[in-house]
Parts: sequence; C-alpha cells; structure tokens
Amino acid sequence: MVTKLKQADVVIVGMGWTGGILAKELAEAGLKVVALERGDMRTAQNDYALPNIRDELRYVIRQELMQNASRDTLTARNNLSQEALPIRRLGSFLPGEGVGGSAIHWSGGTWRWTDMEFKIRSMYEERYGKKFIPADMTIQDWGITYAELEPYYDKFEAIAGVSGKAGNIKGSIQNGGNPFEGPRSRDYPLPPLKNILSSKLFEGAAKDLGYHPFPRPAANASKAYTNPDGSHFGACQYCGYCQRFGCEANAKGGPQMTVIPIAMSKPNFELRTQSWVTKVLKDASGKKATGVLYTNLVTGEEYEQPASIVLLCAFAFNNVHLMLLSGIGKPYDPVSGKGIIGKNYAYDTGVGSTLFFEGNSFNPFISAGGTNIVMDDFYGNWDFDRSGPGFVGGYIVSAGHNTALPIGYRPTPPGTPRWGKEWKAATAKWYQTSMAITTRSGVLPHRHNYYELDSTYKNAFGQPLMRLTFDYQENELKMGMHGAEIVNRISQHLNPTHLVKASSAKRSWNVVPYQSTHSTGGTIMGTSPANSAVNKYQQSWDCTNLFILGANVFPHNSAYQPTGLVGALAYWTADAIKNHYVKNPGLLA
Amino acid sequence: MPYLRSLFVLVTLFSHAAFAQGATLGKEKYQDCVSCHSIKPGENLLGPSLFGVYGRKAGAVEGYRYSNALKKSGITWNEDSLNRYIADPQGLIPGGRMPYSGMPDAQGRKTLIAYLMTLQ
Repeated sequence: MVTKLKQADVVIVGMGWTGGILAKELAEAGLKVVALERGDMRTAQNDYALPNIRDELRYVIRQELMQNASRDTLTARNNLSQEALPIRRLGSFLPGEGVGGSAIHWSGGTWRWTDMEFKIRSMYEERYGKKFIPADMTIQDWGITYAELEPYYDKFEAIAGVSGKAGNIKGSIQNGGNPFEGPRSRDYPLPPLKNILSSKLFEGAAKDLGYHPFPRPAANASKAYTNPDGSHFGACQYCGYCQRFGCEANAKGGPQMTVIPIAMSKPNFELRTQSWVTKVLKDASGKKATGVLYTNLVTGEEYEQPASIVLLCAFAFNNVHLMLLSGIGKPYDPVSGKGIIGKNYAYDTGVGSTLFFEGNSFNPFISAGGTNIVMDDFYGNWDFDRSGPGFVGGYIVSAGHNTALPIGYRPTPPGTPRWGKEWKAATAKWYQTSMAITTRSGVLPHRHNYYELDSTYKNAFGQPLMRLTFDYQENELKMGMHGAEIVNRISQHLNPTHLVKASSAKRSWNVVPYQSTHSTGGTIMGTSPANSAVNKYQQSWDCTNLFILGANVFPHNSAYQPTGLVGALAYWTADAIKNHYVKNPGLLA
Repeated sequence: MPYLRSLFVLVTLFSHAAFAQGATLGKEKYQDCVSCHSIKPGENLLGPSLFGVYGRKAGAVEGYRYSNALKKSGITWNEDSLNRYIADPQGLIPGGRMPYSGMPDAQGRKTLIAYLMTLQ
C-alpha cells in the first residue's frame, strides 16, 4: 500500500551538490521543499574526523562512502553484440551515496567549461569543415553560452572555496594562471595550494619546453575561509587522504558543510534520508510530473510525495535510470539513432608516464586533492591545430601527487617482481622517488555509447538495472597517441633514473581498475526536443515541471573535470526557477 | 607617592587597553579555528567548544571525544601551554586529533590567546 503524503512545492531526489544548492536556494525563496536521499546523514564530527577517517581498508577497499552495488548497480558491455553483466563491485567509477553525495569523496577539481564545449559542433565545422567530425560522433551545440554562465561559475567557486590562480580576468591575461581559460570577472576566492616537489619539477620542465603550466583549481581551501553564505572552511592540511575520503579539516568544499546545513535551518525544508525514489509520477496527459514514489529503506513502506516541481539531483547514472524507469521521454535506440533518453554516454581517458628519481624524496603522503600543476596547451588552446593529429577535443597534462595512499600506492620500476622479498626491497627503495605525468581527455560521444534498461538483471526493488554500452573509439586513440608523445617529451626533459613511457594503443574500456567518476550524458541538453532531453535550464522538454540536474545533461565530456559546470548550472537553474518559473510556470525560454 | 600611584594607574589602564586591542585582533586570528571550534558553551563541532578554555584542564569538555593523548596530557590551558599548543599541536601533544599544522606567527598566537581568555 502506498501512503500519499502532503503536497510539497518542490521534491528533490538526491542530496549532493546539485540537490543541496537547489534546496538552499528554493527554501530561501520560501518554497516548501522536501528532499529524499537514499543514503545516510553523515557529518564531519561524527564521520570524517581523525583518526578514523584515515582508513584505506574502510574507504578504499570496502568503499564505505560509495553507492551500495548489492542494491543497485549498472550492467556493462563494450558493444551491442556482447551480453552485459552487472558490475557487482564498483571499479572504474565510484558514485557516492549519502548526504553530500560524491562531493564527500571528490578531489575538488573545479573547472570552467567554455564556448569550445557549448558550441563544439559549430566551432569545429567552421574551422575544420564538416567532414572533420566522424559520422558516428554525435556531438552537438548545447544552446548555452559561457557569458551566460560566468556569474554562476563565479558563485559556485566562491561557495565551494576554490583555490587557484586566474589566467584571464576580463580579457587581461594573468601571469601564472591558465592563459587559455574563458574571461573571469575576478580571481579565485583563495590563492593556489602549496606547490609540492613533483609539481614543481613538472612546472619547470613544461615552462622550459614553452608550455603554460598553472596550479590546478580545486575546492581545497588553501587557508581558512568564510564563504559568502557564512560557511566556514578550515585550511587544507595536505593530509594525503582526499579523494575517496571525507575531509577531516573542513577544508574540502562540499554541500554537507555549506548549502545543506543552511537549507536544514529553514522550517520549510525537510530532508528524509534512507528514502529511495523508484519512479517519477506523471498525470494522465503525461506532460506533467505530479511527484515521486519512494520507499523508506528502514521500514520498507512505500510513499507518494506529491510536488509541483520535481528535481532529479541524484548521481548522473541514477537520474538517467529514473527517467527510463518512469517512461518520460523516448528511450534512445542505437540502431536507428532515434530517441533521446540514454543517448551520448561519455567518460574520460588518458595516458601517463612514471618517472623514478633515485635519491629524491617526494614525500608522496603529503598532498591534497588539488596539489597538481597542469597545462592546457592542448585543450583550451583553440590555436592548437587539430588537423594534423585529426581528433576532436584534446587533453590537459598534469603532474603532482594527489592522495598517494600509504598502503595502496606502491610504485616500482619495470622488472621488479610482483611479490616477495625483492618486491619489498624495491617498494621501500622507490616509494619516495616516483612521480607520474598524465593526460586527461574527455571521451567524445559515439552513437553506440549509451544507456538503456537491462532486459535480464534487476535491482533490490525488482526494477531493471540500467545497462551501459560503452567503448573507446578512434578519436580517443588519436588523442592518446598525441598526448603520449608530449608526456614523453616532458618526462625525458626531466632526465629521471628510470622512465616508464606513456603509450597509447587501441584498447577496450573495462569496469576495473578505478579511472574516474566523470560520467556524462543520458539526458542531454540541446536546442530543441528533437535533439535533447532538456533545454538550457535543465528543464525537461517532456514535463516542464521536471528539472534534471548534473553531468547527465552534458552532451559530451571534456578534458576538464565536470563539477565546476555542474555547480554553475545548478545555480543558473535555481535562479531560473526562483525568478521566472515560479511566477510563470511552463517552458522557460 | 601620588606621582607613583598615578603612574601605576596609567600602566594598568594602558595594559587593559592593549589587552582589549589584542583580543580584538585575536578574534580575527580565531577565523583559523572557527570552522571546527564554536565559542558557544557546550557546542562541540569537529573540535570541542572553546568557551571557558582558558584555565580549563585539557580534555575536560563534556560530550567531546578526545584522543587518549590529550586526555592523559595533564595539561591545564594557560598562556604558556596554549602558546606552545597553537604553535605546534603535534609537538606538544603527539597523537592528538586536531588536524592543524600550527600558527607560526608569535604575535598572532598572543592575540589569539588574549581573545580566548575573554571566552568566559
């Protein structure tokens, strides 16, 4: 039996960055907001404090902050001819679960995606001709501009406590920042993090070779900070337990320490944890969402939460899954290329070298999520001519240590045995001496990379799992080959004792090992219902009182990490709802 | 004697003023601590409340889970111990739970301690 609850103005599914931002903004606007989170309430004092948080067994091996794959997971395969199997243990990507979402365990990388992304098809066609873009590469313009988003990037960076160095303030290029970034209205709220030895070495070599290295912008507070909402940050302690861990010093920006507590202080906001949403409900016309159906995970009871506005703010996978389970929009068909929901899944990829310097002491256990130096000469740099290497996109290059785990991080030179006395001697000898230089590329969408409902496997609620079909294509191989050459040139310039060179080969994606959690697409943004699931306000074309937030609206992936854009779009959508939609419900134009 | 007395009054007044000024500057220094330490009595966040910290025995705030190292330190928080602790927390109490690498600026510590002394 389903218990029907009292009507709310807004129901939010998921309490990470996007859910937290919308909860605060809409509760402050006076709307009655109910948020449903499938995981637990966790706080810094109870869950992320010293000494318990520094536990590789709990948080890396047992994945305590991640989605529970025994309840719900994806099935995966590389292509249409394979049988997809469930990912029973998370590997390649690690979606978070619980209040704060993946922003509890992220590294904090915060970038601004520019018009190079939002106008990708028109810019490439104009410069390189229509034939340059492979026929199966389903990239499209997004219908939004950098200029529209700039104030919202600025807002998110200020709220999340981002440390960095501007490279372009109002069109004026700044020394030491990224000269290829979009024009910013002002510098980052906090100065860059400390530059650690491995980053310094890379920075020097990159400069020698004529590139433009700069500190990676990251939501790791380089000093104590109070954001414009009055939320307090401690200074990053470079403890080395950043990615996959909660922050012991309140230094890593996240919604659980900023927007969520503010929302929770409002009487018109209610957060229900252990609440698993199974479906978005629609009215008879199918054009309006009426609320959501959810299960209380403690009691097993089912509830209907009616609401005037429904916001999907779960992890990218789960937003798309809910759309497919709810039958909103037309599912994508990879054979005909028709349909929208599930289309344009994209991920990321990269290549890297490992360098060993006999006698060096990198102290790799001292690092933050953002203690990296990075260069954008082969991505944000539109002057970089792609016609020779023949790829769309490109890559950033970075170096430095970031969560080099004391137990898990065991670099040894090639030829070292994998176990036993000799391995022990080698790991003791080389632990301090190793660093890596890596590239990161966004995967470009391909017509055969997509999500759909699985026909065999079901989750704990008896609902079909979501099936992911994904593999790397020629474009990724080309980016990898070009990137490997540049990485090797920089690595050789540093003249290490041993060098394991970067290389690129045609390979298939695998669900292990961990690579990154940056999955995009599935409910993509575009200029019309014919090419997209949402408009530029992340508003569903099918049900205009339904908004789908997060990286699932990105029509392609970038070399930049997604969260800066996810946060900016959340503030942009919050403003559109508060200032326009509430006064005049309907399709926002 | 009248002269001496007035000098004494003057000196006391001056040090009061200096103390007050130090406490004001120290409140700014407290921004380094504020994300984990409340100044409200009984409000424990990532760290224990700093209300009444001056003159208190280390590890004495009710309801806060201290490290064994801090509980067994035998320290009472006075100007000297606070100064040493804020300068280098792990140096004074190895194994303590506070994730703070220390405030190297001696004048800053002095003003911060002046501020902490007002939290009574």
